[in-house]
Formats: sequence, structure tokens, C-alpha cells
Amino acid sequence: MDYPITIAISIAIYTILAASYNLVLGYGGLSTVAHPIFFAVGAYTAGLMAVDFPEIPAFVNVIAGMGTAVVVSVLLAGSSLRVSGDYLLIASLGFQLGLLQLIKNLEFTGGPGGLSAIPSTLVGPMRGPAFLAICGAAAVACVFVVRAIVNGPYGRAISAMRDEELAFTALGRNAMSMKIAIFAIGCGMAGGAGGLYAYYFQYVSPDQFDVLASAAILTMVVLGGMGTVYGPVVGAVLLLAIPQAITFLQLPPSIMAPMQGIIFTLLVLAFLFLRPAGILGTKGRPI
Amino acid sequence: MFEPIILAQILWTGIATAAPFVLLTVGFALTLKVTGLWNFAQSGQMAIAFYTMFYALNGLGLPLFAAVALGVVFTAGAAYLIEVCGLQVLRDRQSGNLTFFIFTLILSEFIIYVITLVFGTEPETLYRSILSPIDIVGGIAISDWDKTGIGMTAIGLIALYVFMRYSKEGQFLTAVADNARLAELYGISARRAYRVVAIVAALFIVAAMYLIGSHGWIVPNSPLELVLSAVIGTLLGGIGRVFAAAWASIFLALIQSFSILFIGSRWQNLLLYGFLFATIILFPRGVRMPRFRWAR
Repeated sequence: MDYPITIAISIAIYTILAASYNLVLGYGGLSTVAHPIFFAVGAYTAGLMAVDFPEIPAFVNVIAGMGTAVVVSVLLAGSSLRVSGDYLLIASLGFQLGLLQLIKNLEFTGGPGGLSAIPSTLVGPMRGPAFLAICGAAAVACVFVVRAIVNGPYGRAISAMRDEELAFTALGRNAMSMKIAIFAIGCGMAGGAGGLYAYYFQYVSPDQFDVLASAAILTMVVLGGMGTVYGPVVGAVLLLAIPQAITFLQLPPSIMAPMQGIIFTLLVLAFLFLRPAGILGTKGRPI
Repeated sequence: MFEPIILAQILWTGIATAAPFVLLTVGFALTLKVTGLWNFAQSGQMAIAFYTMFYALNGLGLPLFAAVALGVVFTAGAAYLIEVCGLQVLRDRQSGNLTFFIFTLILSEFIIYVITLVFGTEPETLYRSILSPIDIVGGIAISDWDKTGIGMTAIGLIALYVFMRYSKEGQFLTAVADNARLAELYGISARRAYRVVAIVAALFIVAAMYLIGSHGWIVPNSPLELVLSAVIGTLLGGIGRVFAAAWASIFLALIQSFSILFIGSRWQNLLLYGFLFATIILFPRGVRMPRFRWAR
């Protein structure tokens, strides 16, 4: 029973990541790939606080993870959002890998081996279901927050900024502050997801947040339907659940891991060519 | 620590170490110049090049020239297939930049997963021993690998210069890089140019992977890091300036080599990524040296 619950919790956490990334990329039009680093910042902040200050309640640590991710995202946005398109994509990649390298080299983060023995706030046989309820509720809340943002007047302003930044600025609106705000909200959600991840898995390592994680979140958003509220949810469920189908084969880990990777990448490639606008995406909208 | 002989040794080692990275950067920068694509699928091609040569040498027991020839065939074949069956299809659909980014990155991942399945995750080298005979010249240790690396890189760069400047095919590449639509009006096929550049880049990749694999170990994931060094060199040199990107790669390698005088080797990668971030924020069009004028 533990394994399906772990998969369901992963899906919930990745739903938060994909939905928040969709806000940044799909609605805000900000082509960054550094989303996993904010996930990492949240996970490490919550994990380190849990290890060093066990008396602080877990939800405070998760919120601290969100806050730290927001601060780091504002630092990145302030310096890098004056470039766009491919340049922003590569700059964000440099930022992500640089920060991961820093995490790898610092001793208090556990170095390349990662941060382990993060205390669990929930114990006993109901730990998994309780975490699933918390993560599921957080995922649902996150999706509805994104929906509330993009469906209101602020959402129309975001779309206007994304589609016609020059005209948007000519109307006296501040595109830069809006970009920073969207970026901070999206990255804060990712930080929160990181906090939940650290508490459930009780272990985080830098390799979990590298460029492959960027590709995974990006493909969840694009294949589900970029710029749609529920697309990222579909993407997260599909790309995390389908590769699990081969677990019943009881293959050794040295075969299972690459096999799951092959299934994941083949799925992405197939969808990229067969349904380029994504499963819930509108035809004709280029990505 | 700052004795001239030590500094000279670091300088030499830095230049020699740069050799494979120069080749990778040139292949990446040339592809970007002609196609306008950040082709991360080249990391998958790097994995194909290395593991083909590795299997040919160690699994089949073939001589070096046959292993390299197989490496060229498989890598160039993969590059051609990726271009024809993947990138061209996306171009015809007028896909956006993100689609190309996802396609090239995920395809590389797919190739790397397949290679992991076949070869495992153990570090591998092309030869059982990667020790290279050393000569001492003027107090500086110069290995056979250094000479091979620098020689191959110099030949590769000269050959590329001659190809681009004097061959019709090379001039077509430049025309397509400048303006693909205008080039097509003059009867130059952009599709053909994209295929040619894919194969030329594949040759540089094979040469680079031979050098890397004969000097150190490789795991299936290594090419993802290698392609990032090519990205940094390309950005630092300035997009569209292939030979400047080669110089930028040498500069980066020298910075990394000399940094050991001041910081631990574990911080070298951070230095590299710091360069990537700073370059793109401060110099998005690359670092341009002021032109020196002799006289009016």
C-alpha cells in the first residue's frame, strides 16, 4: 500500500510544481527552466529547519521554505528578466545549476550526498494517508489559486502583458513588476511543494533538482496544455503514473530506472509530435 | 606557488584540457549559427559517439581507426535522423522555441536512458589505461594526449575555416545563417544546409569524445554537463561567431585551471555556471573585443 501512496503523493507534489510553473511560463510567458531550484530551496529550507530546530512546527518550516523561495526568485527575476526568450531560458539554467553547485559544496546542506534524517512530524500506519491528504489538499488549493489569479482582472492583465508587452507598457502598466510578482508567486508555490517533499521523503539531494527535473516539469506543463488551468494536472498524473505500469514486472533497479525513463521520454516525444498543443491545449497556439 | 614554471605548467595544461571543449563548442556554435537552434540533442550524440567507440574498442576488439569510423557513422547517422525526422518536422509546423528545447533535451535523455540500460552507470574509459607518456620540455610536462588534443583541435579548426571560406557548401551555410529565406531565393536549400551542419557538428563531437574518453571516464549522464560547457563558450564568444566561441572555450578552461591557485577544485563548476549567468545577463551578445586600428 505504501508504494501507491508514495506515487500519489509524488503526483500531488508535482501537480503543485506543474501548476505553479504553468503560471510563470504558460500565463506569464516567462521562459525559465529554473523552477526545480525553487523546489530545492523550499525543500532544503524546510529540511534544515526541521533538523536544526525540531521544536518549530512543520507548517512554519514549510512556509519558511515558501518565503525563502520567493526571496530567491525575486533576486533571480530582478537580475535576469531584462532578457527574454532563449536568453532567459539559458540564464535561468545557469542560475539553477550554479545554485545547485553551491548546495553541493556547502557542508551544512549535506553536500553532494544530500540532507538526510529529516524528522517526520507524522508517524505510524496513517502517515502515508495523512501526507496524501495534506499534499492533495495543497495541490487542489494551488490549482484553484492559479485559476483565481488567471480568471480575474489581474489574469487578463497578465495575458495582455504576455501577448503584447509594448502595448501593455504604453497603457501605463508596469510589466516588470507584474513579471516579478508572477514569478514570485509561482516560485513560492514551488518552495512550498519542496517543503512537503522534504517532510514526506525525509531526504533531499542536489541531483533531484537538476536539469532533468526541469525537463520533467516543463513536459508536464506542455503535454497537459500550457496556459490551461487543468492541463498541468493531467500532465503530472500521466507522466508520473504511466511509467509505474512496469513496476509489476519486478525488474532489478538497474533495469527498472532506465526503463521508466525510456517510457517517460517516449511518451513526451510521442505527444510532442502527435498533440503539440497539449492534451487540454487549444490548437493553433504555438509553444 | 606562483613560480613561473608552475604558472607555465598550468597554462599548458589549461590549453590542452580545453581542446575537446573547443571542438564541442565549435560544433554547438556552428549549429546555432546556421539553424538558430540551441541543439541540446548534441548531448545525446556525444553519448552515442563515446559508447560506440567504447564498444568497438573494448567489446568488439576493433582497431582505433575502425572504432572511430564506426563512431562517425553512428553519430552522423543519428544527427541526420534527428534533423530529418525531428527538427525539420517541427520547423515545418512552425513550432516555438520551447518545443525545440523540449524535443532536443528529451531526445538526449531518451538516448542516455537507452545507453544506461545497455551499458549501465559505471564510469568507462576508451582505453583500459588512460595514462599517457610524458615528455619534459623546458621543465613543463607535456603528455602525448596533450599533443594529440591540441593537434586534432588545430586541424579541426583549420579544416572548418577552409570549408566555410572556400567550399561552396560552406559558403551556403554562411548564406543560410545570414538569412535563410533570402538564401532560398538564390537557390540555396536551407534544408540541405541544416543537414550538412548536423553532420559537420557530428564530426567535431566524435573527435571531442575520443579525446575526452581517452583522458578520463564518462558515465551516460556526462554529456549533459559537456553540452552546458559548449553553451557557455558559445554565449561568451557571441552567437554567430564560431571561432570566437572556440577562443572563449580556451579562456574558460584557463580560468578554471588558474582558479586552483585561489580556490578548491570543487568550486570550479560553480565558477563555470557563474560565468554562464553573468555572461548572458551582462553580455547577451557575447564579449566583443574592441577592434584595433593601426592607422587611418
